[in-house]
Amino acid sequence: MQLELENITKQYDGKIAVQDLSLSVPKGVIYGMIGPNGAGKTTTIRMIMNITAPDSGRILLDGREVDGSFRDRIGYLPEERGLYKKMTLREVMKYLADLKGYPSRKSNQAIGPWLERMGLKEYEFKKVEELSKGMAQKLQFITTILHEPDIIILDEIFSGLDPLNIELVKDVLLDLKRQGKTILFSTHVMEQAEKLCDHVCMISRGRKVLDGTIGHIKAKFGRNSVQIAFEGDGQFLRSLPGAHEMTEFNNYVEIRLAPDAVPNSILKAAVERLTVHRFEVMQPSLYDIFIDTAKVSPHESQREEGGQHV
Amino acid sequence: MSKFLIILQREYAQLVKKKSFLIMTLLTPIMMVGFMFVPAFIAHRGVVETEVYAIVDRDGHNVGSGVAEAMTSYTREGDTTPSYRLEALRQFEAHDSVGSEGAVDTLVQLIRDGNLDYLIVLRPDAHVSDSNLLLITNSDNFRTIDRFESTLSQILAKRRLEVSQINLPVDSVMALTKRSELPRQDTKGETVRSEIKFMVGIVLLMLIYMLIIINGQALMQSVIDEKSDRIVEVLVSSVTPFQLMAGKIIGTGLAAFTQVGIWILGGAGILMFSASSDLKLDSAITRTVFNPATVVSFVCFLVLGYFLYSTFFALIGSIVNSPKEAQPILLPVILLLFAPPLMIGFAVLESPNAGWIRVMSFIPTYTPLLMMMRVTVIAPTVEGNPLLSPIMGEAVIGMIGIIIAILVSVWITARVFRIGILMYGKRPTLPEILRWVGHK
Repeated sequence: MQLELENITKQYDGKIAVQDLSLSVPKGVIYGMIGPNGAGKTTTIRMIMNITAPDSGRILLDGREVDGSFRDRIGYLPEERGLYKKMTLREVMKYLADLKGYPSRKSNQAIGPWLERMGLKEYEFKKVEELSKGMAQKLQFITTILHEPDIIILDEIFSGLDPLNIELVKDVLLDLKRQGKTILFSTHVMEQAEKLCDHVCMISRGRKVLDGTIGHIKAKFGRNSVQIAFEGDGQFLRSLPGAHEMTEFNNYVEIRLAPDAVPNSILKAAVERLTVHRFEVMQPSLYDIFIDTAKVSPHESQREEGGQHV
Repeated sequence: MSKFLIILQREYAQLVKKKSFLIMTLLTPIMMVGFMFVPAFIAHRGVVETEVYAIVDRDGHNVGSGVAEAMTSYTREGDTTPSYRLEALRQFEAHDSVGSEGAVDTLVQLIRDGNLDYLIVLRPDAHVSDSNLLLITNSDNFRTIDRFESTLSQILAKRRLEVSQINLPVDSVMALTKRSELPRQDTKGETVRSEIKFMVGIVLLMLIYMLIIINGQALMQSVIDEKSDRIVEVLVSSVTPFQLMAGKIIGTGLAAFTQVGIWILGGAGILMFSASSDLKLDSAITRTVFNPATVVSFVCFLVLGYFLYSTFFALIGSIVNSPKEAQPILLPVILLLFAPPLMIGFAVLESPNAGWIRVMSFIPTYTPLLMMMRVTVIAPTVEGNPLLSPIMGEAVIGMIGIIIAILVSVWITARVFRIGILMYGKRPTLPEILRWVGHK
């Protein structure tokens, strides 16, 4: 399913939560929505879910404007997690699948294998309150996708998961992507978005500040710098033509290049006078881009998400 | 199955499966029967302990000895153990004030020490004027005090007749002027025992009050839980807030009605069993409790009252973050809704058709409790089919009023609920809540 947002604006009591936001999430991709806390991610997701309506603009699923009838085809994992503590794992999974209108016959069959895959099989008939936090999170992840939704919206899915479980969940997500599901992934942890997403958009203060594929964004924000690890006195590197700025680290240096400089000429100069162990042309991480972009409004990242985001 | 039914089913099952549901179902009737019968039983049996009294008589006309003799006729229920023990009967000449005051002081000290319960002091000319009588006691046992009074008044009347110059046989006069009993019956020719209607009325009132408070709080708690566990985020991605709210309110309600259904079936069972056996229940009780008008209005007002009040509880649950935060809102709401009917409950039982009581019983938030009590008191006395009586006509108008109030309340609650359940953090202020009602 393809998801499109056209010029969405939403205000709460005079405060703008989302302003003139347009997104296009193609089918079968993992789409990252990144931004500091309070940027308007949750509000945007709630509008996609048709939990709250935009003041203006349109939200289209496969070209049709969203309404309640799309609910069953979406799987939503909210950032704030919770499940009925007193119900067993199987009961909770069955209940939430029922609420999505998923046929009982299918959910009864699917529950076992999913629990197996997530390593929760032995807890099938135990109560949710007996699970550890990480286990509960995996359970909630299964409940999000059990009913085979076409669009999967995941808000900060990896927070609180250990590396093993992150791998487990990531595998499932890649499987789902291969099946042609559309995955909208909201996070403020850039490394995850960078590793997993095909496409990202960045939201700050309710506005889109970046949008494109990872490669596209990195190319656009390429800072053109090189890292060199070497033996010898490297101070001359600082004054090479094309070297804009050099930062020394414990056992390597990072040289920021002038816009028209060629990394090769730096390497050539280095190997002539030093024993070079490693030479790398650096691409900026999403994290750097995020910091750079968010610097425009540094207080944003301090603002707590919550209250006003309905 | 529709999503509303799925939610309803879960809410219902969660409540009915709880152990507390079973316990409440069994305990409540026992408690209610206790409420009805234990006070009556105690009042009937009288005090179990033997009480001790003493008399200081300076009157000189054998009043004290007469009282002592008459008091021996009171025995405990069911056996011959006397209810009272005479500690001392001290008789003095009228002029012997020193001696009698000494005796009074000694006996008052006994009362202070807890070895004596009552001291009757008959001063000179006690048989002439009541102002010369005195009872010293720290006890509030009005039954005993009443017995002293009636014994004394009989004996004093006798003495006063004897010393008066009226030349009549004293015993005949006493017999002729004995206090009359006034037997009562209603227009159906049945003996009226109004205390039973009182008790049934109060018990049914308490039952509706209890069921609404307990289940309303359970509903509120479950809304708060879903909110604080953030399940609600997932739920509203599957169902509309209205479906969620309706499913929860009706599911919780059905659990309560299941409980009441069990009680009614149990009651009917007992009634049938008693009819087919020698065990006869007090006909005044069965006539009041199982009056068709009473049963019908109890069920209707319970159901309607629950739905009206439950919307308030759902609304409060949706705007707070924890039960602790709910308390300060809940208390005034409960007081406002329930205090007036509970306070005027007895007035309703005494004069169910008084103008202002009638008016109050048509205010929808008070109708469930007040109209129900009015029906309970009036229905057993009506001629013909109680279901077609004028009071039932009023009850039906009251019900229509509640239904309108429910519709309004559901509309408001739904509008607050859909926003409230997704709000965390600061509790909204009243103007904010009013603004939500206005949101499109």
